[in-house]
Amino acid sequence: MSRLLDCGLYDRLGVLGFSSPQLRRGGDADQFTQYIMRKWKLRWRKQYGKMLGIFLLAVVSVAIAYPKTVFFIPKVEQKLQALPIQLGLDLQGGIHLEYKVDVSGIDSAKQKDALTAAEAVIERRVNAFGVGEPLVQLSKVGTENRIIVELPGVKDVEQAKTMLKETPFLEFKKEAGPEVQQMFDQYNEQAKTKAQGFLDQSKGGADFAQLAKDNSEDPGSKDKGGDLGFVKQGQFVPEFDKVVFDPSFKTGTVWPELVESQYGWHIIKKVDEKGDGVDKEIDAAHILIAKKSIEQYPHLQYASSGLTGQNLKDARVDYASQGLANPQVALRFDDAGTKLFADLTRDNVGKRIAIVLDSEIISSPVVQAIIPDGQAVINGDFTLEQAKVLVGRLNEGALPAPITLVGQQSVSASLGAASLQQSLYAGLIGILVVVAFMIFYYRFLGLVASLALILYTAMLVAIFRLSGLTPFPITMTLAGIAGFVLSIGMAVDANILISERTWEELKNGKAVNKAIIEGFRRAWPSIRDGNSSTILTCLILIFMGTGFVKGFAIILLLGVFFSLFTAIVLTRTFLGWWVGPWLERHRWLLAPKSKWPKK
Amino acid sequence: MIVSIAMLSVWGLRLGLDFRGGTLLEMEWSGDVPAIDVLQTALQPLNLQSLTIQPSENKRVIFRYLAAEDQTNDQVVADIKKVDANVAITRTDFVGPSVSGQIKQSAFQALIIAMLAIACYIAWAFRKVSKPVSSWEYGVQAVIALVHDVLFTLGTFAFLGHYYNIEVNAPFIAAILTILGFSVHDTIVVYDRIRENLLRLHEREDFEITVNRSLNETLARSLNTSFTVLFVLAALLIFGGESIRAFSLALFVGIASGAYSSFYIASALLVTYYKWQKKRRNA
Repeated sequence: MSRLLDCGLYDRLGVLGFSSPQLRRGGDADQFTQYIMRKWKLRWRKQYGKMLGIFLLAVVSVAIAYPKTVFFIPKVEQKLQALPIQLGLDLQGGIHLEYKVDVSGIDSAKQKDALTAAEAVIERRVNAFGVGEPLVQLSKVGTENRIIVELPGVKDVEQAKTMLKETPFLEFKKEAGPEVQQMFDQYNEQAKTKAQGFLDQSKGGADFAQLAKDNSEDPGSKDKGGDLGFVKQGQFVPEFDKVVFDPSFKTGTVWPELVESQYGWHIIKKVDEKGDGVDKEIDAAHILIAKKSIEQYPHLQYASSGLTGQNLKDARVDYASQGLANPQVALRFDDAGTKLFADLTRDNVGKRIAIVLDSEIISSPVVQAIIPDGQAVINGDFTLEQAKVLVGRLNEGALPAPITLVGQQSVSASLGAASLQQSLYAGLIGILVVVAFMIFYYRFLGLVASLALILYTAMLVAIFRLSGLTPFPITMTLAGIAGFVLSIGMAVDANILISERTWEELKNGKAVNKAIIEGFRRAWPSIRDGNSSTILTCLILIFMGTGFVKGFAIILLLGVFFSLFTAIVLTRTFLGWWVGPWLERHRWLLAPKSKWPKK
Repeated sequence: MIVSIAMLSVWGLRLGLDFRGGTLLEMEWSGDVPAIDVLQTALQPLNLQSLTIQPSENKRVIFRYLAAEDQTNDQVVADIKKVDANVAITRTDFVGPSVSGQIKQSAFQALIIAMLAIACYIAWAFRKVSKPVSSWEYGVQAVIALVHDVLFTLGTFAFLGHYYNIEVNAPFIAAILTILGFSVHDTIVVYDRIRENLLRLHEREDFEITVNRSLNETLARSLNTSFTVLFVLAALLIFGGESIRAFSLALFVGIASGAYSSFYIASALLVTYYKWQKKRRNA
């Protein structure tokens, strides 16, 4: 037994986990020693294995995190260097756009398809832009459907936006039903009643000129009291003309009836006349209450048919005649579109179909016959240039629903780079400060903790880089750096708990190794519960947050897990390796005098 | 804490883009920055609502206004360029009202869920110490301590918002949630001690004294933990970039307050409740 004590094995065994009963097994001293030696070799190998494992882990992590350290093996260095960390928009510079997609015009069964189609169209455009790692994503917020576009590293924000804005929205509309016409008829009825009212007023003696100024809907004459100046016969439209030049129309009076023309209803007053016969000129004034007709509102003439750019397979320039004149745009629909188009043409023979691009009617031909093969031609008097441009836009993708920009965030690359540098610098300083504090206050234990901390940092950075190889790359944003830096503070916390507990046990008189073991044991519940609450908060943030918030939470979560690992496993292994009777001799390394029991 | 509530109600938080909707336009000059009134006059014809112009570091100026439309923004840029063409846009953020509404809502929900979850977790974790104070009580008191932290941080930002124009954005909510997590961590360590001592001593010692002893024992540890985190945050605050400053500040204030709260408030409340319970039983 005394041999054991002398070579310090007793203490070592304590740290390695042997407890007193085992050591006190009676029997032959030599036999016992052999037994111990065997067990010890096993445990020692295990310990050695653990240390080696950790050492390797450290080397690998540092290598991946900072490839320059393996500069002596250039091949490996290059490969490692190629593992980049995904930088978020706020560090790389770039633009984040949010578009609202208006699917109200599409019936609900087809809405999902329309959204997917819209996403695909935008994605095509974005890819054509040649940006590094674009992101196009559908998202639903409340009742609104959104498309999120992220273009990292884009230098020219305005250009990107213009390109996306120019995604055309193509629709094929059929003639509106009779309700629309009824609406107009109703309006015009009301207009007539209004006009009648004015007529009665002026017959009753109201000032004509004033009535005209206030109510006439003829902008050219209303300010002059409705006066149209001296005009010869034949200048006005027939209905108007007939009344004005009627011989029974006395000068200075108002014609007792409403006069209806294509423009609306007129109340006409004869102001003056001069001349005679062919040269007769009459100065008349009128109050116009205008009619509205459907032709003035071409959009109302047409209603959606369900056939949109979504169904367009391709478009190309074609020529109406052989001689390369009259360029046209020839369209081809996909299968669904072909059917829709056949139905559309069948139902509307003899009526017009309007082809609407970005809310502008570019062509409204009359349907001559049923078109069953899904091919259509737009003939809108294009020049060759116009036809080409239209074909280009249609081919790049026509949206099935209009989009509006509702949110934008852009960070210039320089701001991003500056932020990145500053935060990294801050992180580094943070680590240094913490290390300094730990070593100063907790001494040896603090040193061990610091080593664990540095390893933790290397591991985490390595993980970030490695994640680029998986389908879930971790994007480092400014928030992520904040989370990272924060997790450093928390990583140390576990070690502080252990150290404090260990000191307490030391004060209670336990031997060094025992004190350490107890410290670990008693600190664990606090560590577990405390970190669990942080994990809980992170999970909530991940679940409910977006973008910035999510990135922060993910990195903090990773940090907590890994810091638990390094703080506990690593520290324990280190301590197991290093702690020995030499520590008892140099107590000051472990803790200040106040922590030791009074002798 | 009362001061915080007062500040909050009087000044309200200066809500940032994410909550209000609107536009933030940051431009950087390569030459000299023109005077603010010159810029203001340039933008006069556009009639922008709630327009504020704020110079910032590195020859930058931040424009904020309520309109959230692309066209308006282009106009603004054009008008500013008329004043001085040597200007580049460093940052454009605009948030339409629907987006900001969404952010506000999810922020609220997250906060409430977090607090509930934490209360439940504590109640569960401390279920073994239901005498003399039920574990639910622990949970509730912890949450009250949290509420204090959150209020304190909010109050500080109400103050800062009023005097220094510092805004509150979505990341602020993330900061608040993190503060919740931390503060609970701290509080749990104290409770943990109380629990341990209670299990050992509750037959022999009065509840109050146990709590007091636990507090003494954990004082050093609690302070140190908070210090390390605060050191790190201080580094971020001082050396980190502009964009992250408000965020770090929120975290700093919140965690500092958290350290204080887990100490005084959580435990004190426990004892108070215990006394009150006793009184009720004896009555």
